[in-house]
Amino acid sequence: MAGKEEAGKEEEEEADTPDVPKKEPAPPKPQAKMFACTACGASVTIKYPGATMAVVCSSCNSTIDVTSENYRILSTYVGKTSLFKPSIPLGARGKLKGKTWEVIGFLVREDTASKYFWSEYLLFNPYYGYRWLVEDKGHWNFVRTIKRKPDAKNINQYPAKGQLAKLDGKNYQIYNYGTAAVKYVLGEFYWRVTVGSSNLAADYIDPPQMLSAEKDGKEIVWSLAEYIDAKEIHKAFKVTDKFPYQSGVPATKPPTELKACTQIGSLCAVFIIFLTCAQFYFTAKASQQTVLQYDGTFITNSKKADITTPVFSMGDETTNAVISISAPVSNSWFYVSGELVNDTDGTTYPFEKSVEYYSGTDSDGFWSEGSNTAQLGISSIPPGKYYINIDTESGDFLQTRVQQFSITVGRNYPIYDNYWWTLFGLCVIPLYSFAAMHSVEAARWSNSDFSPYPDPESYTESY
Amino acid sequence: MLTLSCPSCGANVNFQSKVSVFAVCSFCKASLVRQGMDLDKIGQVAELLDDLTPIQIGTTGMYKGQKFEVVGRMKVGYDEGFWNEWFTYFADEKIGWLAEAQGFYAVCFPCFDMVPPIGNLHPGKAVDFGKYGIYEIEDIRKVKCLYSEGELPFNALQGRKSESIDLTGFEDEMATIEIAEKENRVYLGSYVDFDDLQFKNLRRIDGW
Repeated sequence: MAGKEEAGKEEEEEADTPDVPKKEPAPPKPQAKMFACTACGASVTIKYPGATMAVVCSSCNSTIDVTSENYRILSTYVGKTSLFKPSIPLGARGKLKGKTWEVIGFLVREDTASKYFWSEYLLFNPYYGYRWLVEDKGHWNFVRTIKRKPDAKNINQYPAKGQLAKLDGKNYQIYNYGTAAVKYVLGEFYWRVTVGSSNLAADYIDPPQMLSAEKDGKEIVWSLAEYIDAKEIHKAFKVTDKFPYQSGVPATKPPTELKACTQIGSLCAVFIIFLTCAQFYFTAKASQQTVLQYDGTFITNSKKADITTPVFSMGDETTNAVISISAPVSNSWFYVSGELVNDTDGTTYPFEKSVEYYSGTDSDGFWSEGSNTAQLGISSIPPGKYYINIDTESGDFLQTRVQQFSITVGRNYPIYDNYWWTLFGLCVIPLYSFAAMHSVEAARWSNSDFSPYPDPESYTESY
Repeated sequence: MLTLSCPSCGANVNFQSKVSVFAVCSFCKASLVRQGMDLDKIGQVAELLDDLTPIQIGTTGMYKGQKFEVVGRMKVGYDEGFWNEWFTYFADEKIGWLAEAQGFYAVCFPCFDMVPPIGNLHPGKAVDFGKYGIYEIEDIRKVKCLYSEGELPFNALQGRKSESIDLTGFEDEMATIEIAEKENRVYLGSYVDFDDLQFKNLRRIDGW
């Protein structure tokens, strides 16, 4: 079984290699080439001499032009060479996006204004050319140079906030603009790399992708980057050391929160529309019949027990009962506790309600609170005959005397409570998701001079 | 296909395309000029450092549903690098070029001659090719033939000088203006992904 699996894997590995006559003997030419460093005399190896134009001496870090007969020095390195160590060793091979790549070069580049720096790994495959892995604060992008030209403003002009570059129907928004200089270099390159050389560059993002323009002499070179999981690279290149610690939200972090927010938002919108339609339907359908109108008396500021109303019909189908109680309260209260009783089987539906009204004047003028009527609803009342038992109580009346109260029972009324509560519930999730999205997106843009989010300082990472 | 013998070593020299007037003997590397059925040796091609190209004479591929075969190559160099121009022969006897540099591939066809004066050309300038569309100049390079092999439609002696202007058009469209001694020819085509070209009989690259 294990053997079978292995064979399967091998086949898979081969599948990505283009159609090459395998049986043909390899050309006898030794590929790698060695020479003595013009600067320090140490032995320098060029692994892909036919494709490489510049190589870095691993002893003294001078960059050497390998296309010149006498191996001209392009630049020397004066800094502490041990400062930068590639996280993926040069020469390592790994399979990314179905193709095998070899790390042949390593660059550290920095923004000349902010001194912010990041690492770039040059990948090579003789069939597919070159790619880059760019590591910035522990986050990685897989980058390829593209030939088609995005629709964008001239790179020489400082971009306006929100400026777009368009490619393949997608809009990329300006994220970074500045001059990137080579700070440190290792390995071999298909151009004459020199330490200190700098290029004007602009990055536009549409996470998880980034479109970058770099000015190389008169030419503008465009590249397309895509966020790639550090673990995927770590595994692919069989790296044993730990990768740089991840911090902050990278420019190309997949926009999961944004997508979730949009999805949840539209889902909730659909629900709300549906719910509102349903509510309209039920409101229109509700017949709102009054089934009991009962007037009774009470003595103010006292209790009265055991009032029973006449029997009334709740109709032929299960519906709600809306009980309204009115009493002539004014800076006083009237309280009812009662039960709706099924005349046939004695099922009771208890309820209680206060009617209160207070008013007065203060420094702000007239004020009032409450009303002469109060209403309560009981849902799912089966059809049949019913009556109501009530006890009343009242207080704060100026005089003690007999007063009248009334109680009305309606059936099949439209009920809004459930609607409002559901609506509220439906809004909580999108609001939460929006807050999550907002904080991630603001953090994403916190490293940009072109952030659409106000006050980027408040979102700088808390490491 | 026309087969002649090398005047230098007697080996067979094949011409797939009728428009080929130049060839390099695959055996002795003599550069040969064809006039009708006659071959004359005009030089000798010096060996080349392996440039790791995966293409070789005999490689076949597909472009827009048409099969082509690579029958010749001219490798050109400029200040900042080099690229390969592979001469391709299509099934319908049409000829074209497969340009290959740093893993980028473009297939283009000789389209028309530009009539001088060409005017002031510089990177970034838009050039109107009339019915063929508007292209933007990407770069202008003075190039030199570094190496040639197989058959070619012109004398590609080592050291042959020309000026090459690369232009990009809509999406993947590209154009090249080749300014040589006698002609200013415009080639039109498009960039193609390696996998889309469905290459067969590629060169084996050691270790890959």
